[in-house]
Amino acid sequence: SRMNRLNPTVPADQYLADSNVLFYLNDAVIQLLEHKEEYNQFGVIRYFAEYFSSVKNSNHVLFREFNYIQATPHNRASFIRVFWKCYRQIGKSGDLLSMLEYRSLLQLLCPDFPVVLVQSAARIAVMDDTIDCLMSFSDFLYAFQLQFYYQEFLDCVLVIYQDLLAGKSPNTVIVPTSTSIEQIPSVSTEENNKEERPQDGVEPSTLVECIDALCDRFKHSHPPRSCMREILNQTDRISYYSFLMSLAKQEAINQTIGVLPSKAELLIDPEMDQELDKLIAQIVVSPSSNSSSSAVGGLKEVQKKASPRRNIHHRRRMEVESDGSTEETDSSEN
Amino acid sequence: MADKEKRRSGVNPPGMPAGKATKSDSDREFLSQAGVGDLLRGAILKMVEARSDDPIGFLADHFCNLASVTAAGSGGCGDEEQVNTGTVSAGAQEQQRLNRALWHLRLAHHSQRSAFSNNVRVAYDLLNFTGPQTCAGEFSEGPDGPCTVSPAGGGGVRGGLYTQTLQCLCSEGGVPASTSAPLLRRLHCHDHEAVPYDVFRHGVLTCAVFSDYIRQAQRLYAEVCCPGEGTASRALCLAVLGTLKEALETSQGSDTNYCANANTKVNSCPEANVKAIRYLEASAKISPCKLAQAMAGAQTQGPGGNMDAKEFENAAAELFITRVKVVS
Repeated sequence: SRMNRLNPTVPADQYLADSNVLFYLNDAVIQLLEHKEEYNQFGVIRYFAEYFSSVKNSNHVLFREFNYIQATPHNRASFIRVFWKCYRQIGKSGDLLSMLEYRSLLQLLCPDFPVVLVQSAARIAVMDDTIDCLMSFSDFLYAFQLQFYYQEFLDCVLVIYQDLLAGKSPNTVIVPTSTSIEQIPSVSTEENNKEERPQDGVEPSTLVECIDALCDRFKHSHPPRSCMREILNQTDRISYYSFLMSLAKQEAINQTIGVLPSKAELLIDPEMDQELDKLIAQIVVSPSSNSSSSAVGGLKEVQKKASPRRNIHHRRRMEVESDGSTEETDSSEN
Repeated sequence: MADKEKRRSGVNPPGMPAGKATKSDSDREFLSQAGVGDLLRGAILKMVEARSDDPIGFLADHFCNLASVTAAGSGGCGDEEQVNTGTVSAGAQEQQRLNRALWHLRLAHHSQRSAFSNNVRVAYDLLNFTGPQTCAGEFSEGPDGPCTVSPAGGGGVRGGLYTQTLQCLCSEGGVPASTSAPLLRRLHCHDHEAVPYDVFRHGVLTCAVFSDYIRQAQRLYAEVCCPGEGTASRALCLAVLGTLKEALETSQGSDTNYCANANTKVNSCPEANVKAIRYLEASAKISPCKLAQAMAGAQTQGPGGNMDAKEFENAAAELFITRVKVVS
């Protein structure tokens, strides 16, 4: 909840709790103690300045352990953003990757990132139990965002969903509280999958009721209710993963979390393009370069590859032609 | 924060051998020597007092500020810049003072009268380049540590620095430069002028109120405009602006004459505008359809067409600015 100066009735301890400041202070001190030999009294102040500046700028989650990254909504959002920034070039090249490959990428940024989370994200992206499919960067990214940011909420919704599938009436569906989250069994328990596959579907209006009840008491973040209702009002029957997939694609939810651009702009990276252009320009004009014809020829090749227009053609080719026929030759695209 | 220190030193990395006790002892010693307890306690108190919308950002600014104060003679604090050890020019030092003054001015909202006034005083003294011995006492909310003093300066803030302060306040408050320009033209002082405290205070207060006012106007416009089209009907906007103007005029009172040396009547102009802000806040809470109903009468003969956000903002700004007396 947003607090401001015009609402001084928020008590101090609630303000502190909502901001997660004590968590960050605690972590800052722990990190400081691990390197205390490097700091004197004045260095300590500078250290805190840098720590909180990096938190503010979302630079603080890189290479940190999973527990830290998961600990606050801001940390989760920052991590999602870092993942996007680091790997959006993959999206540009149009490559499709497997779940395990995405997991490797995640582990480069966070060494102990758990595979279970990546699996769940993949399930949302392909809306299927079998998650061997290859996924595009943007499909995976938005699914990952939803799964990671709203993890606790999605777990609770699954419990509700399974209860509804099992035929319980909404009144008897037990709305999980935040304390009971740890007791929820992992998503793919065998009995559930055999009898009530998440594909089967429930009555959307009932699901809305239960989700409303959940949101009323839910301590963690959840997607805006209006977004969820909008999805559930559009169909007669909804399955768990189709619901989640729709949530993942909803731009309003994306903006609520606020760290990723919309899908159309996901792959735009003008700074990287600029950097590449600068780099290339330097190589071309550098007096120390060998500037043999082969080097220049190779350079032109690189330049073409880096051109965003070429990448767009490449992507379209992938989508339209599966056999890889090349009607577009290397025309001059400068 | 004894319990906090206990908590900290109690968290040891896993697999610590029997040297655990020694580590937590040396940790404690390090923390107390470095004064970390007091440092954090002070930071938390400031934070809770300020109740900023962005607590993390507030803390980042707080520590940056502190770092630039205690590291005497070093350059200003950027979020990711290293503290440079080069010689400090007068310009850099001035920038540093400006940053600190702005930080003080951000601490309290202008509606918190006494806290805000205190902060204005502190900011003024910072920019005034005089008052070395008294600053430790006057810094009721200032950072700990000695303040570096540069010699000379005069009885007043340099005009250029004053104008720059106002510009920063407006832009940090979310007001685009084009919108605040007419206001600043009325308030600014020439570079060679020495700005006395009353003028400084009036300028700062007016800019603070103005920023709030513009933000509210923006919000109100957002309420009123059609979500899909991004513009609002001109008649509706004019009606809103008209009632706003009335609110400003009726609450103005009789003291519109501002004299550079008067210090009691200075508040009337910003106070009138504070009322206007409250009106805007109230209007923003009315749902668009109710607002449209209320304005229905004005619309029957009103002009057609739409008004975009920028035009609305400029018109609202103008209503405010025409009431601001030019500083002579």
